[in-house]
Amino acid sequence: MTNKKIIYRPISPEIEELAREHGNEPEAALELLKEIQTHHSVLTPTSITDAARALKLPPHQLYGMATFYSMLSLEERKKVLRVCDGPVCWLKRANGQSPVNSDQLVSEWQNKIGGEFSVERTSCLGLCDRAPAVLVEDEQAGPVEANEANKVCEGWRGVQTDFSEVRKGEVRVMTSLIGKIDPDSIEDALANGVYDGLKKALQTDPGTVLSEVESSGLQGRGGAGFPVGRKWRFVASEKRTPRYIICNADESEPLIFKDRVLIDTNPHQLIEGMTIAGYACGASEAWIYIRGEYEYQARRLEKAIEQAKAKHLLGENISGTDFSFNIHVHRGAGAYICGEETALIESLEGKRGEPRLRPPYPPTYGFRGQPTTVNNVESFCAVPHILKNGAEWWKSLSTYATPGTKMYMVLGHVKNPGLFEAPFGLTLRQIIEEFGGGMADDSAFKFALCGGAAGTIVDESLLDVPIDFSSGQKGISLGAGSFLICDQSVSPVTMLRELLHFFAIESCGKCTPCRVGTWRSLETLKHLAAGKGQKGDLDELKTLAELMQDSSFCGLGQSVAIPMKSALTHFGAEFTKAENNVQR
Amino acid sequence: MINLKINGKEIQAESGKTVLQVAKEHDIHIPTLCYHKDLNPTGNCRMCIVEVKGGRFLQAACVTPVWEGMEIETSSEKVMKDRKLTLELMLANHPVDCLICDVSGECELQDLAYEYQAKVPDWGAKGTRYPVDSDPNPFIRVDMNKCILCRRCELACAEIQGRDVWGVAKRGFEEVIVAGAGVPLLEARCESCGQCVAYCPTGALSNKMNYGMGRAHQVKKVTTTCSYCGVGCQFDLLVKNNKVIGVSSNPDAPVNGMALCVKGRYGYDFIHHPDRLTKPKVRRYLLEGKKKSDIRNSIVDSQKSKVELSNFGSPWDWVETEWDKALDIIADKLTDTRTNFGADTMGFLTSAKCLNEENYLMNKLARQVIGTNNIDHCARL
Amino acid sequence: MDDVANEAKAFFIIGSNTTEQHPVFGTMLRRAVRYRSAKLVVADPRKIDITEIATLHLRHRPGTDISLLNGLMYIILEKGWQDQSFIDERTENFDEFKATVMQYPPDKVSETTNIPVEQLYEAAEIIASSKPTAVLWAMGITQHIVGVRNVMDLANLQMLLGNMGKPGGGVNPLRGQNNVQGACDMGGLPNVYTAYQPVTSEEAREKFAKAWGLRTKDELGRMKDEEFSLSPSSFILSDKVGLTVTEMIPGILDGKIKSLYIIGEDPVMSDPDTNHIRKCLSSVDFLVLQEIFPSETAAYADVLLPGSSFAEKTGTFTNTERRVQIVRQAIEPLGDSKPDWWILSQLAKKLLARISDRVRKDAPHAGWEYSNTSEIMSEINALTPSYGGITHARLEAGERLQWPCPTADHPGTPILHTKQFTRGKGKFMPIDHVPPAERPDDEYPMVMSTGRVLYHWHGGQMTRRAEGIMQVYGEALVELNPDDAEKLGVNGRNILRITSRRGSIEAQAWVTDRVPPGMVYANFHFPEASANELTHASLDPVSKIPSYKVTAVRVELV
Repeated sequence: MTNKKIIYRPISPEIEELAREHGNEPEAALELLKEIQTHHSVLTPTSITDAARALKLPPHQLYGMATFYSMLSLEERKKVLRVCDGPVCWLKRANGQSPVNSDQLVSEWQNKIGGEFSVERTSCLGLCDRAPAVLVEDEQAGPVEANEANKVCEGWRGVQTDFSEVRKGEVRVMTSLIGKIDPDSIEDALANGVYDGLKKALQTDPGTVLSEVESSGLQGRGGAGFPVGRKWRFVASEKRTPRYIICNADESEPLIFKDRVLIDTNPHQLIEGMTIAGYACGASEAWIYIRGEYEYQARRLEKAIEQAKAKHLLGENISGTDFSFNIHVHRGAGAYICGEETALIESLEGKRGEPRLRPPYPPTYGFRGQPTTVNNVESFCAVPHILKNGAEWWKSLSTYATPGTKMYMVLGHVKNPGLFEAPFGLTLRQIIEEFGGGMADDSAFKFALCGGAAGTIVDESLLDVPIDFSSGQKGISLGAGSFLICDQSVSPVTMLRELLHFFAIESCGKCTPCRVGTWRSLETLKHLAAGKGQKGDLDELKTLAELMQDSSFCGLGQSVAIPMKSALTHFGAEFTKAENNVQR
Repeated sequence: MINLKINGKEIQAESGKTVLQVAKEHDIHIPTLCYHKDLNPTGNCRMCIVEVKGGRFLQAACVTPVWEGMEIETSSEKVMKDRKLTLELMLANHPVDCLICDVSGECELQDLAYEYQAKVPDWGAKGTRYPVDSDPNPFIRVDMNKCILCRRCELACAEIQGRDVWGVAKRGFEEVIVAGAGVPLLEARCESCGQCVAYCPTGALSNKMNYGMGRAHQVKKVTTTCSYCGVGCQFDLLVKNNKVIGVSSNPDAPVNGMALCVKGRYGYDFIHHPDRLTKPKVRRYLLEGKKKSDIRNSIVDSQKSKVELSNFGSPWDWVETEWDKALDIIADKLTDTRTNFGADTMGFLTSAKCLNEENYLMNKLARQVIGTNNIDHCARL
Repeated sequence: MDDVANEAKAFFIIGSNTTEQHPVFGTMLRRAVRYRSAKLVVADPRKIDITEIATLHLRHRPGTDISLLNGLMYIILEKGWQDQSFIDERTENFDEFKATVMQYPPDKVSETTNIPVEQLYEAAEIIASSKPTAVLWAMGITQHIVGVRNVMDLANLQMLLGNMGKPGGGVNPLRGQNNVQGACDMGGLPNVYTAYQPVTSEEAREKFAKAWGLRTKDELGRMKDEEFSLSPSSFILSDKVGLTVTEMIPGILDGKIKSLYIIGEDPVMSDPDTNHIRKCLSSVDFLVLQEIFPSETAAYADVLLPGSSFAEKTGTFTNTERRVQIVRQAIEPLGDSKPDWWILSQLAKKLLARISDRVRKDAPHAGWEYSNTSEIMSEINALTPSYGGITHARLEAGERLQWPCPTADHPGTPILHTKQFTRGKGKFMPIDHVPPAERPDDEYPMVMSTGRVLYHWHGGQMTRRAEGIMQVYGEALVELNPDDAEKLGVNGRNILRITSRRGSIEAQAWVTDRVPPGMVYANFHFPEASANELTHASLDPVSKIPSYKVTAVRVELV
């Protein structure tokens, strides 16, 4: 089409070459944008348009992506330092009297670290065990404060958390090899029984494997608790091929870092679990969608995949059988919403990570429109043990109604924050007292944020309710298994503000209630927390929470109401005080 | 067929249909905003939410399929409250300028705000976030302040026009509709068909050429057929004070539906162009009873000077006349030619731009009246 | 168009820049390709917009369509992909045709057309394996000295594949002007009355003579000598096929044409070899132009009558798929302008008063007293079999009618030739490649092709007066390949001089890989740089259509 605004310009040869390396596949859009950004420190309308032309995609699609994913930028940046703006890091800094508002945080870091880096805020980095945390280019660092900026420049990256010590009461299954093997050595893994589950599975037929997982009662560990076996059955019973296995490693919800630890401590366990899933579902190709901030873990997985291939535990004709299975690692680029399984699939297909309409659900219409199962890292990690030891053994691990073990994270004002593995049905009191070592010195329990950022804010009245996937109905959620314990120094109003800050930034913007509702809730909470509340603020928050819960398009918007409603229920008095401008 | 209940009423419906489709078939009103029957439903705006018995959440009627035994409430208290609130969330950032807005009167957001008596919240950006009329193209007026992010423009561009100019950028509250990689429309290879304008439910995308010239209730719509190419699109001419001020899609157009091209939608202003001939004109020599062969020199001079329609007293000047005079001159000259040289020395070029009826008359004129078959038109060119 | 867009499994577009010339139909094709996964093969020397979504783009040399088509049919026959039962039952002359096609093996065709052999095979496979494939063509096929042969060869292809008379198949010409179909249907052609009733047919002449009040052959024989106030030929309809536009205008110079009456046409812009046209028009004895604008042709007119635009009158247009649709008056005619039908009927009455005796007043349709176009349509209904049932009343009632629609209760006919061809059996015509009339040489080394662009219409009389459109595309741009641009030293928006044996124009270069090296593409929308200054008047011998698509030119930087 001719008009005088269009000037002939061939695609830049460099971008053409990069695109060719990806086979000009539209699905490579995100990788291509990242590579262009890496080469040029910036994305421009011109380079984005060229990339789109090379992949034969609409330029708006790539521009939409470039402005959607937080790790991509249309502003020129040299090295990037991303400061975690998540609630756990915020809590640490708040206690240390550091700046708490994201703008102040960024400018303080920028001042300290100088022009070598471009500093920007980022939503929770999944380094809550190392809070306060930062991401230096793609290297995870923490705990680190802005006044340690010069050390960061010199290459200091803080301290890795050691998870090898077993807490009292822990039942270690998925974490059993922490500290016992070199995670980068498949020999170590093999010597310790990793891949035994796969080998056993391959000796039987896929139907038997499927039945075993089904009868184990394993529930998805992403937070919703949907039975894993049933999901796989849906996929396996679809006539259409190819079918796909996807591992959701987009662990982006604040407070959650268990998947990172599982990958870091035993990557082969995940690969084994996924391969078994492939065998059971009749799939031969799989993707691990890992959040872009977990570059270190992504590389570890890639290394493990290569090792497994070399041992014929992955790739063509695994262990000499007819079964072939390949796993690809796909990095996200900074978007919490991509943890929603349909948004994840969209993102994997090289688009903005916006949730899809459901139905149809991924088992019928998933990746590339084909039958697909999407499971959490932890869910896949449990599978080899079930295959190895049997469904009955898995059930026997717990005396509680929900079988098996679960990864838990306990954070905040406890003596011994961290991560542990235990059966279901723990109470918040047990988590604090038995596993967390009790409240920290001078700390008295005020409230806990249970499950994750989209979890419940509870007071002491729920300390003794056994927690599982259905306890949310009683007011205390399990979610992905994280518990942030807060003492008297923390106001539930400000905590809720922090959470809404996260949701408002991470809302994809597709539907009205979540797009505007999160933004307006945040605005109101900012006023309340700053002592500038007004009559009617509480009612508005309640109404917005109801609206978002009832009417949002996807789980993200629907779940924003959970912390809002629970906080208002349990701490109504504090909110009322804030509304009435009562300075505290 | 499956059985379901809407608002307590037993209804039979074809499976595979959506709640919205079934409700519509039974004259049950469910408000919509991002939905349009020509476009794939997306469920973005959440205006068409309904309550489904047993469901944890409200469902968007435009994308929820019906199922056996489904029980639906389309206007329960909860539903009405949520719709109103959703509208208010849209209005919070929308400018409150309906008084002067061009699309007032045919704005779906305005209609819904009225229907739900939604209040404009006292917070929000109120249309201060983006420059007004932000795109330099001559046809489409872009005011993203009025955008409610329904994405009908993106879908219309893709699904109707088969192009991909409009898209969505950024996320959350910052989300915004952009052309191409955030560039002006024409650089984003926009074909200026205006499909996005036709499908926009608000004043975010409107027509620039007639902005401020007449609102829906002030114009007469006359459905007619396009005079450009042979596809035969139909549309409505917007008429105010005997002036064509614009073109709008007519959804019932047999060939094209809502679709039009840049010429059809925006190429109408030739109608009132000052160059239009409004008076019969004859060359002065004809009034003076001279012969053309005697004034050849004047013609050559006039053509060299390239000055047309002027009055220099040359026999080749144009002189305005009345119809009767002009037609008499033609009739005399043609009769002379016919008598002196024969009918077959006369040529008639009819027009592929004229009506069938007019072409028929031209054919009748040449053949019946004059008696020649020397008639043709530009089909070959 | 609906059936083509919705039911064809594949499209073969040749010589049609569909998305720019018939944009809304173009969108239907895009939708079919995008959302219905229809295949699309485009044969065009230029990388036109629709090639972006094409399954395959064949970039053949301009003027080698027949070679390409025969080559594709060679492959189809070689692979046995033809629809033999269709050929056997519904066509004739297959063997003779086949013998010709067998002269076009892929290597030879590849050499003539410059299309790689693999692409020829790929194209043939797509076209042959998709049932049905619709062939779409426009002026890119007809505006050659072999235009008619091109069309026949497309018909050969579709008969070979059994795609004729099927929903979603067929050969589908895309008509240019909004009512070019109607103008043809209404007898706006030198050889036929309405609905293609030949002027050479005794029967047709008799029918129209009776209706219009002229003498039939018998009546003429019975006339007494004293009744012959004029020569006998003055009382009858002419049985001599008339001249085409491309013959009439040059006919002025040799005295064949003395007067011209032109409605809404602009030969100076739209006809080939503008210099020659100007010369002809300045020599005519008497030129009447009925127009809405003082067009380029107006400079040569003796009388200028102000007609009215489509917005100022009511009547019908017939689109490219023979759909007759209502045009409604929206505003009063501007100033003292009048609808063209009014002007013609007034003039006819004046003429008949002067040419008395010729027409018998008592014939049913002899008169010219029309108070509206609906009355004219009634007359058309009576004399035009295919329009017999198409009335304004039915159209106003919302009926959707495509001719043939012979009677008031007939629903119209969306698809032609479903059961048999008009002539009974479809006849295969052996067609051979003929090189273009003008080929590049040392002096004029490049090929120019002409056509329109999305934003403009034909001679540009309307679109050059549309303000917005002029902002987007306000001057003639000549498409030039980047390689040629480099050779010429064109850097950005330089002015080019393009010269052919007939004339020279200057226009801005628009560097683009839409045109292949060695080719330029120019339009005829702008009088200051109209491509028709350069084109030549070599015509297709049958259709008399000029060969606009191939002109040898020299391109220089100004």
